[in-house]
Amino acid sequence: MKPLLKVDNLRIELTTRDGVAPVIDDLSLQLNAGETLSFVGESGCGKSMTALALMGLLPEGVGRVASGQILFDGEDLTQASDARMREIRGNEISMIFQEPMTSLNPVYTIGEQIAEVLRRHQNLSRQAAWNKAIELLDAVRIPNPGARVSDYPHQMSGGQRQRVMIAIALACEPKILIADEPTTALDVTVQAQIFDLLRDLGRELGTATILITHDMGAVADMAERMIVMYAGRKAEAGPVEQIIEHPRHPYTKGLISCVPHLMATLTEERPELTEVPGIVPSLRDFGRDQCLFASRCDRADDKCKTSRPPEIEFENEQSSACWQAEQLR
Amino acid sequence: MSTELEHAVETARSPFAEAFEMFRKNHLAVAGLILLIVIILAGLFGPYIYVADPFDMVWAPFSPPGEEGYLLGTDYLGRDLLAMLIHGARVSILIGLSAAFLTVFIGITVGALAGFYRGLTEEILMRITEFFQVLPTLLFSMVIVALFGASLPMITLAIGLVSWPSVARITRAEFLRIRELEYVTAARACGVSNAKLIFKVILPNALPPIIVQAALMVGSAILFEAGLSFLGLTDPNVVSWGQIIGSNREYILDASFTVTVPGLAIFVTVLAISLVGDGLNDALNPKLRQR
Amino acid sequence: MKEKTAKPLLKVENLTVRFPVKRGGLFSKKSYLYAVDDISFEIARGETLAIVGESGSGKSTAALAVARLVKAHSGSVLLGDDDFLSLQDEALRQARAQVQFIFQDPYASLNPRLRAEAVVREPLDSLGTGDPSERQASIDALFKAVGLRPEQQRLFPHQFSGGQRQRIGVARALATRPELIICDEPVSALDVAVQAQILNLLRKLQKDFDLTYLFISHDLGVVQHMCDSVAVMYMGKIVEHADRLSLFNNPLHPYTKALLSAVPSVDKKRRQETKRILIPGDPPDPLSPPNGCRFANRCPAAQEQCSQSQPPLRQIAAGHTVACHLVSDNGIAPI
Repeated sequence: MKPLLKVDNLRIELTTRDGVAPVIDDLSLQLNAGETLSFVGESGCGKSMTALALMGLLPEGVGRVASGQILFDGEDLTQASDARMREIRGNEISMIFQEPMTSLNPVYTIGEQIAEVLRRHQNLSRQAAWNKAIELLDAVRIPNPGARVSDYPHQMSGGQRQRVMIAIALACEPKILIADEPTTALDVTVQAQIFDLLRDLGRELGTATILITHDMGAVADMAERMIVMYAGRKAEAGPVEQIIEHPRHPYTKGLISCVPHLMATLTEERPELTEVPGIVPSLRDFGRDQCLFASRCDRADDKCKTSRPPEIEFENEQSSACWQAEQLR
Repeated sequence: MSTELEHAVETARSPFAEAFEMFRKNHLAVAGLILLIVIILAGLFGPYIYVADPFDMVWAPFSPPGEEGYLLGTDYLGRDLLAMLIHGARVSILIGLSAAFLTVFIGITVGALAGFYRGLTEEILMRITEFFQVLPTLLFSMVIVALFGASLPMITLAIGLVSWPSVARITRAEFLRIRELEYVTAARACGVSNAKLIFKVILPNALPPIIVQAALMVGSAILFEAGLSFLGLTDPNVVSWGQIIGSNREYILDASFTVTVPGLAIFVTVLAISLVGDGLNDALNPKLRQR
Repeated sequence: MKEKTAKPLLKVENLTVRFPVKRGGLFSKKSYLYAVDDISFEIARGETLAIVGESGSGKSTAALAVARLVKAHSGSVLLGDDDFLSLQDEALRQARAQVQFIFQDPYASLNPRLRAEAVVREPLDSLGTGDPSERQASIDALFKAVGLRPEQQRLFPHQFSGGQRQRIGVARALATRPELIICDEPVSALDVAVQAQILNLLRKLQKDFDLTYLFISHDLGVVQHMCDSVAVMYMGKIVEHADRLSLFNNPLHPYTKALLSAVPSVDKKRRQETKRILIPGDPPDPLSPPNGCRFANRCPAAQEQCSQSQPPLRQIAAGHTVACHLVSDNGIAPI
């Protein structure tokens, strides 16, 4: 099957005070129609930057695609014109953000904001767009949509606003939905509702989802495949269940075990959490020919500090960029 | 790793030291500052270097600049314009600084009390602030000067009284924001007294926008003084730039330099102050500062 | 485990915090929002009580009120024999030294104009604990205890990473040698990989200094790891209170159940075993809370009596109390 989205050796450079840094360094990935792929990592690892690159929304004048391709349905988005990207954005690829409080315009009703997208991309009439907006609110399970459609954003709770964002994102039945930490600002019971909603709508519409998160639990809950990003590079990739069961990269391992998880049964035992010492390297150090995780890794040896590990592929579709991936148990 | 730490320790500078560094890199602001220093020095030491009484009628009226060794010419009474300008600089700068100081003093006191204590205190203080804000400023200061006499302290007071509300509002807004920050709560958890909270914890962090406002206030006070003395509401025993313009205004068509020269002096001074204020704003505004 | 002393270190009784809310015009009648509504709990020396809840549950307000950083409307906070809420002057200062606070946001909780050493010194100076000549020595010791290097004392907050800033916050809380430390979401603003560092540090310090924690968090995974007992809050009320194992393995209140079921987990077994209990809608308006159970409008098990009278906290088993009409006396949950 031909993948819906294929990213090949993508390199994105960011111009900073200290020079040019590769915030995304040689990233390749595939996304099939209807599947959920998750990007995991700490902040500053390039998860959001990848999403912005897919949307053609890199910070102007600062970030640029240096090399590589983003093939969407066979079309290279890195070469697409601004006009073409505007057509794709919101229509074929859309995005929801972390902060539902600031991503809606406070001076328009939510109905107007949903209808606006429909009119722009689908040339619906004013009335038709309004009716569709009500349908969409119903689809994202907002009670009494006929009345709520004329509400202003401040009249809704955080969870409801995020539902409206989802309604806007899905208005044109996009092929890809990018969700950048969509529930970080929300309560856990609301998060569960939003995840359910995303899952159901994804299934109904056949939308492929890219879920950006730092929460391994959410990944396990939502995604089929995941990519662990570290300092702009792919550390590990593969099917979620396998990676959680048997991570092949020390960083993945650290990310899973540094968080206390709720288990099926709780016992008296409480082992110390595994610490990942230090922090993500600064942009200055991105792009060096070494494993960028080496400074925080307890297994690092000279080789890790002097040459960049290649991506090692395993039979079970898992791949890891670690010199010791094979030995790692 | 350890060398990095050493570097960090060596370069550990307070936010204000960092702001100074930013300011230094802003060429326009530095140019403004240099200009301002030159003007202040001229006002301070000029009278000792260029010894001349600005009230002496030294030569025929309206002699153009350069004639008979009078660099800027003479005014309608034949007084040396250069000497007047130098003495006028003193008055303008003195009034500018002291009025700005008064403004900031009243503004910070009112704003800090209102923002810190909230409730009834805030309600009362802010109503008073609003009262002063809606007064017609020029008219009000004219009344004060007319009633209590046109001495320099009275003019300063008049300017201070009409311009403090903006500082009070800024201070209050900053206090309202900062008092909710966790480090203030942390200080309260340590039992820090209210006076210390206001002056040692919150005020230093509230200063940046107030400093910018104060700098711009110096400029507007100079303009205000010029306006008052143009209208003749000034101490007749001292020379000021506005007064020179005012007294020569009838001859603007015949001897325009008598008006343009002091006008230019005001313009350049206020421009220099604005440049410095702008530079301070960029340097102190954390949003513009690179991480 | 730890030997339990007969008398709890902290005993909170009927604590209520309300905020005046102006509605409508200038002269309209004042109404009150009860952020914390009549809660009671106690913590034994050396133990950790966690208060969990979602936004608007009042958990942070409760913490601030216990530390006397928000004014309580009524109730008492007993530290030993004294009511912390009614102390004055010298007694208050001494009590403050016993109760310290760790804040959520390490970017807002350190005064940007103070060097790290001055941040840690602040409580020593203002509470006047210890000999002034020994303060530098105790600051050195504190930096060491939280895993910072002595050279870093000279740095300003903006020169530290989030995790390091939180370490400074911990050192500040430890400075006066308190017995009780209130941790208000101490790791929720930190990156995942850094959270473990702080959580491990807090556990180690608890052992080393025999600290008692009141731990506020919305993250049930973290709570499970840190606490000895848990109180679950919903709209200003404690709805369930139990020791760690009972609460997580045998939750009784429908809200607790829903909350636990909503947490995504990496544990496959848990994912398969846990039935997700969805609670639709939002909590009711806190300004006019319902007469009955506050959770009734979202509760999948709600019955008529639930919207009529407020369920009191009842003891179901030793150390396990729950406020729900539908939980049977022998501890069978409605769902």
